[in-house]
Amino acid sequence: MIPLKLAIVSIAAVVIQLTLFVEVRVAGVAPELLAMLGVLLAFYAGIERGPILAFAAGLLWDIYLPTPLGVAAVTFAIVAFSVASLEEGLFHDSRGQLAVIVGLGSVASVVGYALIGEVVGQRGLIDVEMLRVAAIVGLINAALTPLLAPIVRWTLVEGRR
Amino acid sequence: MALTQRIGRSRHRLILLVLTAVSLLTLDLNGFGPLASAQGFVRDVLHPVTEVAGVVASPFSNAWNGIFNFDGLETENQELDARVKELEADEIRNQADRRALERLLLASGLPYVQNLETKVAIVVRGAVGNFDSEVITIDLGHSDGLESGMAVVTGAGLVGRVDRVDATTSTVQLISDSTLIVGVRLVATDEVGLGNAVGDAFEINQGLDWPEDGDLGKLPPVGSGVVTSSFSRYPAEIPIGWVTSASSPDGGLSLEVRVELANSVDDLGFVSVILSSGVDQVPLPETVVPNTIVPPGIDPDDIFTDGEPTEDGDGG
Repeated sequence: MIPLKLAIVSIAAVVIQLTLFVEVRVAGVAPELLAMLGVLLAFYAGIERGPILAFAAGLLWDIYLPTPLGVAAVTFAIVAFSVASLEEGLFHDSRGQLAVIVGLGSVASVVGYALIGEVVGQRGLIDVEMLRVAAIVGLINAALTPLLAPIVRWTLVEGRR
Repeated sequence: MALTQRIGRSRHRLILLVLTAVSLLTLDLNGFGPLASAQGFVRDVLHPVTEVAGVVASPFSNAWNGIFNFDGLETENQELDARVKELEADEIRNQADRRALERLLLASGLPYVQNLETKVAIVVRGAVGNFDSEVITIDLGHSDGLESGMAVVTGAGLVGRVDRVDATTSTVQLISDSTLIVGVRLVATDEVGLGNAVGDAFEINQGLDWPEDGDLGKLPPVGSGVVTSSFSRYPAEIPIGWVTSASSPDGGLSLEVRVELANSVDDLGFVSVILSSGVDQVPLPETVVPNTIVPPGIDPDDIFTDGEPTEDGDGG
């Protein structure tokens, strides 16, 4: 049941990103739902499953991005590993902390995506604009955390038999 | 202790994920067919879902734009803008071939591509992420005869080229993308060169020479037209824009021409695809190597006489 719920939530995030957030932007910047999903999966699923699930979410997003397949996937996996490591060692569950973690994780995902994208040959990803985009994405994703966090938590809970 | 062990195990998994991603990147960058097909298959499967979701989401999008973007007159502005651009493009075509224009205007539609089959496409969506603002998605794909490399135009001129083609949708790399190189011809001087977007402008920065005699009258006049050349990967004579300035970045060797694009690619609703296959690589014009570089301390007259090497010169 959990894999099915994860697939539905991931596809729903991609579809919302491809439809609603093509138009709905803040200062020209769209939220990065898949990056947010990766961070939340790392937070709730833990360090063992989190990076794998974030990798899968990134791979799904990669299919629609102009960069080669795997850029978002590896970025999200590395960020998820870092987030899960921090969460295990330092943080305790609280709404405020979670929003901060999602915000910082999203910033790291955007910056990491741009860096790895440049390494594999995509041009024009790293500039001052990238920092502006990363900062705004971090703020929007942090603000959206109370909406998406309960859904992600629900997907990782085994239903009644 | 248990935490350290778990982090250690997870680190190995992360390394495996990174290696998997590197493998996928390598395969994708080398154009591994099955991988591209698999991605296209997923996009095709999800396309109906995104279409329905797009309809559902459109009221929210419109409300958002209405509140924050003040776009109440958006549609009317688009139509007026398109009409203005078409009229401006007419001027370029006038310069290119007045007689052909009169003949072609009778056929209306896209006068500069009268012998080529075109298909009208609806722009499904613009940029999906925060880093690919120079890409749009249209509602035509393999099933409509589209292939990668085909030219995408409007009545005003070139919009871009078809990039990734799925069964029912395709992505278009817009002319405002700096990595899209276009072979162009200056209508006023009949010179050809290569250009690409640089920031908000379009620059022709390869293949043009500064007038040898320094006669500024031979430079392309401001306002003269720029069209695709016959050696470009696209059909010839598609309007690109107008010359806004001409200068030499290297003190009188090469010529750099800045162009205002005829098309505004910010808010496209409909485009036409010219169903004529593009070529993968633009044939580069012959590179002009200046032969006036002389090592310090050597008199040029000792090397060349009337433009020919002297007998004792080694030519090297």
